[in-house]
Amino acid sequence: MTVSRDELAAFADGELPAGRAAEVAAAIEADPALAREVEAHRALRKRLAGHFAPISQEPVPDRLADMLRPGAAAEPTGVVDFAAERERRQPRPPVPRWRWVVGPALAASLALVVLFPRGDGGSAPYAGDRLASVLDRTLVAEQAPGADTRILLSFRDGDGEFCRAFSGTGGSGIACRDERGWRIETQGEGSAGAQTEYRMAGADEASVLARAQEMASGPALDAGEEAAARAQGWR
Amino acid sequence: MLDLLPRLRRFATGLAGTPADGDDLCQMTLERALANRHKWREGTRLDSWVYRIMRNIWIDEGRAATRRRQTFVADEAGLAVGAEGAQEPAVELSMVDRAMQSLPPDQREAVLLVMVEGYAYKEAAEIVGCPVGTLNSRLVRGRDALLELLGEVQ
Repeated sequence: MTVSRDELAAFADGELPAGRAAEVAAAIEADPALAREVEAHRALRKRLAGHFAPISQEPVPDRLADMLRPGAAAEPTGVVDFAAERERRQPRPPVPRWRWVVGPALAASLALVVLFPRGDGGSAPYAGDRLASVLDRTLVAEQAPGADTRILLSFRDGDGEFCRAFSGTGGSGIACRDERGWRIETQGEGSAGAQTEYRMAGADEASVLARAQEMASGPALDAGEEAAARAQGWR
Repeated sequence: MLDLLPRLRRFATGLAGTPADGDDLCQMTLERALANRHKWREGTRLDSWVYRIMRNIWIDEGRAATRRRQTFVADEAGLAVGAEGAQEPAVELSMVDRAMQSLPPDQREAVLLVMVEGYAYKEAAEIVGCPVGTLNSRLVRGRDALLELLGEVQ
């Protein structure tokens, strides 16, 4: 007698009709390989059930239980006042997600024009006037789609400095604000020798963003945080 | 329904992936269930009815989220930016959580309903709103994937 894998699983779940279940049980008895497979199914079930069991054993949060208590959420008419319920409910702080911040910028920036000015030498280069003014002034949310140099996102690094990932034809990179100005931390690969005027946004920005994620100490700044950072001069 | 809540939270967490998202899903489910309570037919199982509401909301939310992703980020960019927001608050996912999250939604709900919530195939199929055979094959695929990911030993 052959037993299909589906049947074995159904057997382990107690879902086979009685007659067939007896046959399968006999086959399993005779074949250690089948027995092992059934055992694996049972072990998996046990593991899953065990994994999720604690959730059903912990106390239910009040905001959920209150919705169901008589009088708590229902008005005398029996109509539930959801608006009031929603107000009472504790809002979870919004979690800024990278893709919301990054997505539109990536999608919109096909090509980016202008040089990437350098600072006055030294070990760590600093942004030149032009780039620095973009870094100082531009908010991600406000920049024009066709801007020469675009800010991809802003964040704080491990030292608490504000850093901004940017992209322009001259190259992309990350600059962090210290007492001297915007220190260039990272430049996208190939930014130095870009010959063509138009390049696809892509690999360059992706590597810069990947680097930003490594450097950042928290999520990207949202629009409000960015505006606040600008107001205090990124320091 | 209060008695059902602990189980609903468990199912919601399994679907949504984290307790916080699970509780949000739970809340939406309760809101919809309360608003539609006149539609529940006396004599039918309340738990199946609420479970169905929950999975419908979850499926709809998932579709909306997928659409948003597709609208804003090209696949390549999305991948490069970091798998599913590498910068979100560090939630240490266990092996089981990770494995569950890797399952397609239809397999994940089938596995949860049968193997965690303990529904019979037929009951689970009614909750999902599909034929028993369909549920069975989703379950088999989901289970095979989990065995592969988690190993067959504990």
